[in-house]
Amino acid sequence: MNTANLSTSWAVIGASGFIGLRTVEGLHGRDGVNLRPVVRSATSLAVLARRRLDWRIADPRDLPALTEALRGCPVCLHAALGDPVQIERMATIAYRACAAAGVRRLVWLSSASVHGQNPPPGTDESTPLHESHPLAYNNAKVRAERRLEQLARDGRVEVVRLRPGVVFGPRSRWITDAAADLRAGRAGWLGRGRGVCNSIHVDNLVHALRLAATVPAAAGEAFLVGDAETVAWRDFLLPIALHLGLDETAFAEPPPAPLVAERTPPLAALTRTRLYQRLGDAVPDRAKRLVKGLASAWPAPAPARDAWVLPRAPAGRLTLEQTLLQGCAWKLPHAKAARLLGYVPPVPFAAGLATSLEWLDFAEGRT
Amino acid sequence: MKPPNTPVSLALVGCGAVSRLFYRPALRELRRHGLVELVAVVDPRPEARDPLARELGCAACASLDAALALRPALVAIATPPSLHRVQAEAALAAGCAVLCEKPLAATADDADAIVAAAARAARPLAAGHYKRFFPAHRALKTLIERQTFGPLLEATLVEGGKFAWPAATDSFFRREQTPGGVLLDIGVHVLDLLRWWLGEPADFTYADDALDGLEANARLDATFAGGARVRLRLSRDWRTENVYVFRFARAVVHCRVNAANQLEITLDDLPLTLAAELRHPLPARPAPPSRALETNPQAFLAQLVDVCAALHEHRPPFVPGAEGAAALRWVETCYARRTPLSLR
Ligand SMILES: NC(=O)c1ccc[n+]([C@@H]2O[C@H](COP(=O)([O-])OP(=O)(O)OC[C@H]3O[C@@H](n4cnc5c(N)ncnc54)[C@H](OP(=O)(O)O)[C@@H]3O)[C@@H](O)[C@H]2O)c1
Repeated sequence: MNTANLSTSWAVIGASGFIGLRTVEGLHGRDGVNLRPVVRSATSLAVLARRRLDWRIADPRDLPALTEALRGCPVCLHAALGDPVQIERMATIAYRACAAAGVRRLVWLSSASVHGQNPPPGTDESTPLHESHPLAYNNAKVRAERRLEQLARDGRVEVVRLRPGVVFGPRSRWITDAAADLRAGRAGWLGRGRGVCNSIHVDNLVHALRLAATVPAAAGEAFLVGDAETVAWRDFLLPIALHLGLDETAFAEPPPAPLVAERTPPLAALTRTRLYQRLGDAVPDRAKRLVKGLASAWPAPAPARDAWVLPRAPAGRLTLEQTLLQGCAWKLPHAKAARLLGYVPPVPFAAGLATSLEWLDFAEGRT
Repeated sequence: MKPPNTPVSLALVGCGAVSRLFYRPALRELRRHGLVELVAVVDPRPEARDPLARELGCAACASLDAALALRPALVAIATPPSLHRVQAEAALAAGCAVLCEKPLAATADDADAIVAAAARAARPLAAGHYKRFFPAHRALKTLIERQTFGPLLEATLVEGGKFAWPAATDSFFRREQTPGGVLLDIGVHVLDLLRWWLGEPADFTYADDALDGLEANARLDATFAGGARVRLRLSRDWRTENVYVFRFARAVVHCRVNAANQLEITLDDLPLTLAAELRHPLPARPAPPSRALETNPQAFLAQLVDVCAALHEHRPPFVPGAEGAAALRWVETCYARRTPLSLR
């Protein structure tokens, strides 16, 4: 299949998100392809509306609405993200909607974290996946990939899975969170940031998405994609600090977060049971929201309130995700993407970081 | 602003998010105080008007004409801007006063036509720039005019965040139906405040990031007669600090967006910042703490109270329609002078 030279529309589910928006703005109008944003509500159109686009409003968990939104598109790029339960459901619904709407290829944004944030040296696409990661997100991404592989056996839709690592660029949380932590004096790193950051500039990912949508040999495959360079976390974090007028001393070396699996509160666990999911659409949305609300309100330890404390600045800290990521010693290879897709990342890491910081200045009102 | 003596009969046109989130609680409160009597809500969509009419205990009308037949004294217009002119003209011609949501109309010409219609009908026309009622904004006006901290040297205003208004349809984002993006949406309030505080700009430049659609980010740089330089940055793309910062000769004042009765003041000679809730002034003698000035919802209520009082007292409202038209004219001039803000 090669759709790139036809005048055609590709749907982008989750088009208002960080990657979805960049995909729409980067690929719309290229090679005669129009991008059709599919978003959950009119509210999501605020930034997409900078351009006149043929958007559709459909929830990625609503099969009939999504099917309607995808009609006429030979390609669907899936860049929506939900909680772990939703991630799995979205995969099933995306496949079924594509099949019903006659979409030929579904490009699914998975994640390198299907191999864990700190994958063992030697990991590549042939490494078997497992579902016992400490982060629920990783396990959900694994389950979603497995579900898609299973569904694609009916041959109705070609599925391509992309596994990017740390996707950065304008609007990326990796940039904004790091800047916010630095400014608030709570930035931390592990081993002075010597761990490997499996980065990919968002425009490199958009390039990979385009290839995944068009290269015939991609069908049925999963691809790790990343920047060309092997990047250490300090290469990523230190320039952000310097840009903000800080230096290496802005990073504390806090103790790593304990490597215990994320606790699933009992009610959230209920929403993950087969029975609850089978009830699926039979459960009114309001009731689901109530269960979710109760789940998120599950008692967290109350913050200690003590007036007899010296005022002090916040301390550096590392979340579980950061601890895992910064402990990484392996640059995930994208040799398979290079071989089968012809993937050569067009944006050098340093240039990508520079434009991200330029955007940060712009977003924070400094320019 | 003296409250009126008898309830003002009011029809609310448009049953969208503004009416549900702002007018519904405000009108209930004013009715509780005997300030208004709600006669009708108007919307062509029964699913929008019927529940609101039930909640407010008034007639549900499918058309403005049907509501005008009930002879309200005041018509509040909270519909898409493209409808403002025709609805305001009809209400004014029927002898009603009008409070029209911002922007006053879809175009500055339409806004001028509404202002002219109000003059012809000799009825009060108020522009819904309720942020002028914020105690913090009124205090800033006083600080600028009286030069309490010396003259204003410069101001940096950043406002906006990821768009979250519950837009019912995508018409808000279609250029054919809505003539502007973030500048028209939230910027028109700020331009109105700037004009009110500082008068007409001596000069300005404007840039935004619209391609062939509606801008999500905008930047305005202006200078004003007294020499004050103002930088305004608006976004519905990304969270901003949401603050207006005023550099006076002897102090810096931070005014947080929508924090109607708060200011943070940093005096040059004092190594600290006073983060203050604005309250009724205390006398120069021992006295208990005084009451806080209006909050954001109370400023919205104050606007309605003012329009009702204007009707009773035969005076113009605090924010006359002509002011709304002038803010919109500035918005249009910005679009006419637009330069592209490069996409990042
Ligand atoms: N960012 C990274 O570093 C990274 C790394 C690896 C993989 N990925 C993958 O790339 C994809 C896109 O990530 P992103 O960073 O662009 O995410 P994002 O900025 O959070 O955007 C995701 C979009 O999903 C849509 N969405 C649909 N249903 C949703 C729901 N139930 N809850 C929340 N959002 C929902 C939202 O758009 P509407 O509301 O408009 O529909 C939202 O804008 C995800 O699959 C993610 O796992 C991201």
